[in-house]
Amino acid sequence: MHISEGVLSPSVLLAGAGLAAVGTAIGLKKLDYEAIPRVAILSAAFFVASLIHVPVGPVGLHLVLNGLMGLLLGWPAVPAILVALFLQALLFQFGGLTVLGVNTVVMAAPAVLCFYAYRGLLRRPGTPGAVGAFACGSTAILLSGLLVAAALITTGQAFIQVAELVLLAHIPVIVMEGVITLFIFLFLKKVRPEMLEGLYA
Amino acid sequence: MPNTKLHLNCRGESCIRPKLLGEHKVRPYDKILRLMANWYKKPSRWRQNLTYLGVPGVFLILTVFVLVTPALAHRVLVFAYAQGDTIHTESKFVPHTPVRQGEVQVLEQKTGKVLLTGKTDAQGKFSFKIPPEAAARKMDLKIVVEAGMGHRGEWLLKADGYLAGVKPEKAVPASAVPAAPPAGMGAKPGADDRQMLEEALNQALERQLAPVKEMLAQLTVHRTSLPDIIGGLGYILGIFGLWAYCQSRRKKDS
Repeated sequence: MHISEGVLSPSVLLAGAGLAAVGTAIGLKKLDYEAIPRVAILSAAFFVASLIHVPVGPVGLHLVLNGLMGLLLGWPAVPAILVALFLQALLFQFGGLTVLGVNTVVMAAPAVLCFYAYRGLLRRPGTPGAVGAFACGSTAILLSGLLVAAALITTGQAFIQVAELVLLAHIPVIVMEGVITLFIFLFLKKVRPEMLEGLYA
Repeated sequence: MPNTKLHLNCRGESCIRPKLLGEHKVRPYDKILRLMANWYKKPSRWRQNLTYLGVPGVFLILTVFVLVTPALAHRVLVFAYAQGDTIHTESKFVPHTPVRQGEVQVLEQKTGKVLLTGKTDAQGKFSFKIPPEAAARKMDLKIVVEAGMGHRGEWLLKADGYLAGVKPEKAVPASAVPAAPPAGMGAKPGADDRQMLEEALNQALERQLAPVKEMLAQLTVHRTSLPDIIGGLGYILGIFGLWAYCQSRRKKDS
């Protein structure tokens, strides 16, 4: 999911950095004092999740968990993802510093989008809520794949071709992320319902 | 709305009961969840404390997985070495998945001019003859592999590195094909032997050194280690801790 350094053109990099900066500003503005520990914890989770290898499918892939970030954080997911990506670039050499903005947009935009898209479903108790959680987890990563393909158009690669490749490769991860998000959502709902109340009251 | 009211106020055993959360139907995974929840809410001191850790507990378990499977198919490692007049390249996702059908570009390091392109095979390998212009002008070659979906890796092959094997057979004919060799050989028969010996030595050395070079390439790759992971987690907590500190100051001031 991380785009490497040197692949994209400067204009795309700049646009990505700009969008990421705006998103981060909004995220920080919406970040309550009480929510900071939660954002930190999820940022840490995102940071480690990229190391969790999903050995299914043609290309080796890893978890992203951006759907979960969106579900539990909303807008503050943007700064959380930015920080985690920055450290991944420094410590693991995933992506890179110049692509940081684009990578942040690729992973954080679907998170925020899914938060708003599935908020209605997630508020409802029982099965609709559970379906919403699964869909939130899987749609976010699906959208991320499409965004990667969109970013790569500018390098001259055909969108349909790349999108097809990305989608096919990500099917196992899409399912896994959905299941993980679903379980964490249900678990929190039972054990720490207070955590969800701020967002889904 | 009465539902939310109920579990807003409850802090004890009662809020685990699925009824209060409005989940009347029993779903297949309900039992697992209830078991987990019950374990979590048992009135033991350290378990209570664990409850406050909430999600991190789940992710700590996930982190353990990381240590079990250090594989990450993410960075592309390109490695190239010369053997005689051919350059062999090998590309893989760290640590060992070959890059299949990756697009290889060989560029001149200085100008960025594309000298040739190709595709890796099923083992992630791609070999090409050293282009004559590269040998003549002693270019440093940059080998770039695009592995699809935005993954990319590169390797710099210095001129000294790949021209050693070429010089005796290529540099001489290029500069002095018509006149020099016959004259040189006629005058000193020893020179020919020495050249052949050097060539043979070069070949043998290359063969012997190839695995060593590959090992070196492996070593230069930064593999993710436990200190990296823990350090990163520390940084994240530190950064957000700092943010929380600033916010708390602002709150106090106002």
